[in-house]
Amino acid sequence: MAEVEETLKRIQTHKGVIGTIVVNAEGIPIRTTLDNSTTVQYAGLLHQLTMKARSTVRDLDPQNDLTFLRIRPKKHEIMVAPDKEYLLIVIQNPSE
Amino acid sequence: MSTTRAKPKKPTLKVTPSSRVMNVSTSGVLRVNHSSTYARSINASVSRKSFSLAADSKILDKSSVQTPKHTVQVFDENGKDVTPQPLYQPDPAAVMSKHSKIFASDTSGGTMSDFYSTAYQTTTNASFAGPFTRSVFGSSTVSRGSQSTMESMNEEIEDPSSKRDISISLSDVQVRREEVKELIKEEMLDDVVDRYLIESETLWLLHMPAVSVSVDSEEAESVKERNNLYMELCKNRMGNDKYVERSMQTFNGAPKTKEVQSEAITMVDAATTATTWDMYDSFRSAGLGEAALSPDTDKASVPEIVSNHRLDPTRAPERTMSVISTTSIASASSSRIEIEPFVVPSEDEPDPELVLQSEKFQQDLFVMERIILENIYQPKLAAYRQLPTLEDPDSVPKVVPTVVSRREESSLDEESTLTPALERLWSFSCELTSGHNVSSMAWNKRNPDLLAVGYGQFDFKDQKSGLICCWSLKNPTWPERVFTCESGVTTLDFSASNASQLAVGMHDGSIATYNVESREKTPVIDSSDCAHKHTSPVWQVRWIDHERGASGEDKGETLISVSADGRISKWFLRKGLDCIDLMKLKRTRNEKDKKQVGDKEKKSEALISRQAPGLCFDFHPTDSNIYIAGTEEGHIHKCSCSYNEQFLETYIAHKGPLYRITWSPFCSDVFLSCSSDWTIQLWRQDLFTPVLGFTSTQSAVYDVMWSPKWATVFGAVNEGRVEIWDLGASILDPTIVSLASPGVKLTSLLFATETDCILVGDSDGQVSIYQLKNLTVGEGTQVAALEDIIGSTLASQL
Repeated sequence: MAEVEETLKRIQTHKGVIGTIVVNAEGIPIRTTLDNSTTVQYAGLLHQLTMKARSTVRDLDPQNDLTFLRIRPKKHEIMVAPDKEYLLIVIQNPSE
Repeated sequence: MSTTRAKPKKPTLKVTPSSRVMNVSTSGVLRVNHSSTYARSINASVSRKSFSLAADSKILDKSSVQTPKHTVQVFDENGKDVTPQPLYQPDPAAVMSKHSKIFASDTSGGTMSDFYSTAYQTTTNASFAGPFTRSVFGSSTVSRGSQSTMESMNEEIEDPSSKRDISISLSDVQVRREEVKELIKEEMLDDVVDRYLIESETLWLLHMPAVSVSVDSEEAESVKERNNLYMELCKNRMGNDKYVERSMQTFNGAPKTKEVQSEAITMVDAATTATTWDMYDSFRSAGLGEAALSPDTDKASVPEIVSNHRLDPTRAPERTMSVISTTSIASASSSRIEIEPFVVPSEDEPDPELVLQSEKFQQDLFVMERIILENIYQPKLAAYRQLPTLEDPDSVPKVVPTVVSRREESSLDEESTLTPALERLWSFSCELTSGHNVSSMAWNKRNPDLLAVGYGQFDFKDQKSGLICCWSLKNPTWPERVFTCESGVTTLDFSASNASQLAVGMHDGSIATYNVESREKTPVIDSSDCAHKHTSPVWQVRWIDHERGASGEDKGETLISVSADGRISKWFLRKGLDCIDLMKLKRTRNEKDKKQVGDKEKKSEALISRQAPGLCFDFHPTDSNIYIAGTEEGHIHKCSCSYNEQFLETYIAHKGPLYRITWSPFCSDVFLSCSSDWTIQLWRQDLFTPVLGFTSTQSAVYDVMWSPKWATVFGAVNEGRVEIWDLGASILDPTIVSLASPGVKLTSLLFATETDCILVGDSDGQVSIYQLKNLTVGEGTQVAALEDIIGSTLASQL
């Protein structure tokens, strides 16, 4: 448990990381470094996208599964680690 | 007498009784010859006969005797005999009496039988042949007969006497039939029966004659008469008592309106997307064990419209909510479903934090961190791996000093014909390691991205607890594994055969092995219980792979260590870690020194130990029996594993303790040594004086290592700088020099195996990675170049 907290803290202090969000399956944020409205917005939208991505991957091969999702917009990069029970989102600005 | 007059309505048919009789007789005669079997035929003819001639038993008799066969003879107007032949002529003996009786019973019946009887009267023989023939022939004959007798039927119907006659005649016939049968039976045995099959004439099955009659015909009168009669009848009908009007009424039941009302059937639309993975999931979970998933499989049996998401009860309650609505119409089994969703939310609520503790989460975090770091360090890592670094097209070029300086450097380099340089990529450090002195580094043999770094003080004075960190290239900010040790770590080495095994030598003389795969913080094996353990700091450990099993148990890898108590020991596992000594490094004295120190010697004869502390050793790359060891005295001893008493050779040149000694990986005869006397010496095995010596600064050289790629290149680390020597370029000066940050001493050096990078460890706990840039080493076989250099040097010396 402590290791998890430590790792989370480390991630947040890495260069260029704007925010870290952990939400559970219902969309309730467990850990976040952003404000609530942004968190909820990110969580909701990314959840849908993750579902679609996972559905795509599994449609192509049912034995496969989605492990990681990276979206690279112009400004930041959004990295999502999806799971059945939670959603781990990190927003980073890599060019800093 | 009622005579059946077959009314000759049909000119073709004329059946007259008289003729009939005649015919009968004749036919009877004829027939007798033909078929004595036709006993039955009697009957019909007999019956007819009786009918026509009432009580003419004579004729009956005659006919009965004479006409065993059919008596009906049909003659057309021309007198031709057109009687139809029986279609079926069965065995009389078999079927006789029964059938006749049947016939009799039938015909004695009512009006129907009347019809039949008349028919049979007109028709003949085979009617008795059996019910079958009766029907077949009878029908045909009936029809024929009906033609002729249809009109006469009406008159004949009211003739009861005929019936009686029939019955009488029938009964008579029966009797006679039997008699005749008997006769026939006797005769049957001897006679040859001839049968003649004759094609019959056309059978008229139905003939509906014209009803209208011309005025001129003969019947006109009678027809007219009849018509008049009918008209009168119609007129009389009105008031006639004979005709009474009657009507019938059917009762219609009284209709009654009935209403039924039922509850409205609720309709619910449900839809699901059957994706490939959905089907795969449900198929798998349906096939899986019952215990854990029995509610799931039951739900699966419930209408499939209910979304398959339901199969996994651990899924989000929000989905279960939607499912509840769709299952509202389901059967009783759905009640279970409805219960479950209510259970699930309550389970999830109290433990949102559980998520954080799940292993999957940790792993995801781990991966995420690496990815973030990859984003940050991507150019550096790419340079390390010698991939072309890509510029981020969207990134705004920021003016960062380091970047600019590098660009300037690179531009300068391009201008100045690419001078070789060291480019600093990144450094492994974290707050754990700050303040510790890097004492040794080792690459993992199997995973070239994994680096083990040992932290410990060299000096005796400020000993802190040692630290071992396993770093991965993918995460330069945090070590993958951290092990703390009681005393400072002085050396470590990864095993080649068991890639996760790390041997560590420490300042207090103990040796331990760690398993880096597990997350345990304790060593796998410790040497602290060993009786022969080292009593002084272990300065080097090495896993050696003995290919030749010299003494049988040397196969495989063994751990060799050298320590300051002057022993080189080989460690192996018996019951715990145990060692045997390969060599004891005895003090050898230089003869020159002896002389000089002669007086002192007497005083200081009482040496602390007879053994010289060993500081380093290296096994020959190809011959694992030979190794060289360096001592604190500055001597290099060449030894063999087979002899543990004597040195093979001794090389004396250094004036201070040797810190590192290493064979060249390319030239098997050449080795390098570095010591605190500011020099690096290049030796050849067979020469007792060094071939080449390198001095650049006036500080102790802590570490030296051959480049694994180029035979003429090696690197050295002294207190203040890193030097890369390229013997092909110059034997006097190092090719690349990189200064350390002020206040930091560089203590160790490691070449990266695959790429052109070196790792430098310093006293602040940082391990920096440098890339060798533009180091153009001469082509051609490096070994040859090195040997040339050596050769030329020797030649020049001579």
